[in-house]
Amino acid sequence: MAAPTMPLAGAAARRFEERLGDPEHADTVFNHARVAAADEAEAFPDEICAELDRLGLPAHYVPAAYGGELRGFDTLVQVLRTVAGRDLTTAVGHAKTFLGSASVWARVPRDEADTAQARRLAGTVLAGIPVCWALTEPGHGSDLMGGEVTAVRRDDGYRVDGTKWLINNATRAGVVCLLARTEAAGGPRGFTVVLADKRELPAEAYRCLPREATHGIRGADISGISFVDAPLPATALVGPRGSGLETVLRALQLTRTACTALSLGAADHALSLIRQYLAERELYGRRLADVPYLRRGVGRLHTMLFLAEAVTALVSRAVTAETQELSVLAPVAKAFVPTLTDQLIQGCGEQLGARAFLTGIPGYGRFQKIERDHRIVGIFDGSTPVNRHAVINQFPQLARGWSGGAAGVERLRPLARLSEPVPGLDPARIALTGRGGCLPLLGLAAAVAGVHAAGGPGAAAQALLTATDGVHADLAAYRPAPRDVDPAAYDLAQRFELCVAGASAVHLWLHNHDRAGDDPLWRDGLWLEAVLAWVLHRLGAGPEGTDVYERVFAALSPDRRPSILEAGETA
Amino acid sequence: MTTLPNHQDAGQLRPWLLLRVAEFTERDPATIDAATPLADLGLDSVYALALCGEIEDHLGLRLDPTLVWDHPSIDALTAYLSALPRDHGA
Repeated sequence: MAAPTMPLAGAAARRFEERLGDPEHADTVFNHARVAAADEAEAFPDEICAELDRLGLPAHYVPAAYGGELRGFDTLVQVLRTVAGRDLTTAVGHAKTFLGSASVWARVPRDEADTAQARRLAGTVLAGIPVCWALTEPGHGSDLMGGEVTAVRRDDGYRVDGTKWLINNATRAGVVCLLARTEAAGGPRGFTVVLADKRELPAEAYRCLPREATHGIRGADISGISFVDAPLPATALVGPRGSGLETVLRALQLTRTACTALSLGAADHALSLIRQYLAERELYGRRLADVPYLRRGVGRLHTMLFLAEAVTALVSRAVTAETQELSVLAPVAKAFVPTLTDQLIQGCGEQLGARAFLTGIPGYGRFQKIERDHRIVGIFDGSTPVNRHAVINQFPQLARGWSGGAAGVERLRPLARLSEPVPGLDPARIALTGRGGCLPLLGLAAAVAGVHAAGGPGAAAQALLTATDGVHADLAAYRPAPRDVDPAAYDLAQRFELCVAGASAVHLWLHNHDRAGDDPLWRDGLWLEAVLAWVLHRLGAGPEGTDVYERVFAALSPDRRPSILEAGETA
Repeated sequence: MTTLPNHQDAGQLRPWLLLRVAEFTERDPATIDAATPLADLGLDSVYALALCGEIEDHLGLRLDPTLVWDHPSIDALTAYLSALPRDHGA
């Protein structure tokens, strides 16, 4: 048999994880004991972050065009997933630099000065200097246009005044990327993104605010920063004056996609504890792994992971392969994956019973930390309601697109075929709004036929197509309202997310099943059957799957981390 | 393929925009002053992006999504769209 082709993102992640070392081992810097100690002391994991710098993680935050290693976002997501799989606090604390710099990567350079600005920031990131993203302010939260921090033109540059608050790494950061009001009247052309390099500011020009105590990610630097007449050169502006809202909305498409890595890592970690528990515990004289009720439940939890993986894989590949799709796909992924993962973690807690609550049992104390830490993922970088609202605003175009053209199987290949590399980021292709619908859904009809022909779960795929058609009928009937959005619209957005996630799974299976060899998860479309059963049940279009989840459990390999993104690979 | 507005179409464009904005903001069209900034009528900046999509569909052409940010009233939008050359967005 020919050597299987290794998925590029998966290979990069595997290499990175190997270099991180064994988390059980005392000599490994990024080990479980150090993570637990930092959490206990509510201390920032400085040594671990220094190790991540040494291993070259910052290069993944910088586009190849500026000297880094960021090409396909699938690789960024899978590498970050390995970090999040050990410790969410560390992942949130380190990866913030990607969020902080994304505004510059998302901007189309107009001239040499813009390119020089991006190169300078790239050098800062590659040197391991934290960059934070300061959007929120006291009393404003998600309302970007309410911001009161000002950048006023003075002499050759700008003066910044005001307070940004609840900012991850505000204190640790060397560079603060902030949204500032540049026109007194505000409005969509009244704000600009500016880079404030703390290392070049006079000491009296800024003051970092005390760290806020938090329920999860206790060691993280969630603080704030106040600027007082802080002088910045004119070159600190990212894009033309007045482009701030546009720049932030563009950057959010990149960062919201990347956030899915945090959820996948948390899910991996929680599920590994469950598998360990089932393997080592006995009840009434038999191993827990032999109790049908538990087998079904744990099979179902892994099915949820596979669904999260499928939508994450397609959306993260779309960032560079079908960039114009991101105005819909990024908020869909950011709303769906963290919410699904919260449910998955809760389900793991039910299986673990008392162990989910106790902190002192070796190994299992990690569970309550995962549960606490993951709560933040659905809140930051646009909360779930904010992301759903972003999709609701596009209901009319999504409805129009559905009645337009369908997409053929080949059109989905760049998104779904994991053994093919995706191109690098071209910021000129980022679009604030979608046109003509949502590609994974437009390609669903052709893919359903493909699943039938390939011997997969065709009836379930057909049921998803029927349900998706019904959701689009509701989208078409929705009347947009800028204020007081109908709560039913949020439910509809949630159903739309389920359709996109289910369709992602269909495409992923169709474009990779030929590479899966005799992996029992892939045989006869097992994981796809399970994922579709879960999605259809949630859509009210199918019964709660039972035996399929037990078959998923039976197909899990004891010697490797379950994943549907490693088709054709052996442990 | 485009069916483009021109100076003659401004007469139809303004009432159409007025109706769209009235519908979005749940107001009586008769009460809307075409010179009022759309934000003051309750049309938020992100929703303005979606309005642009409606305008594109209505006129059958491609526009910058931030159109409504840069021409933030019915009058300003009408003036801008009416002055577009015939081959815009083709």
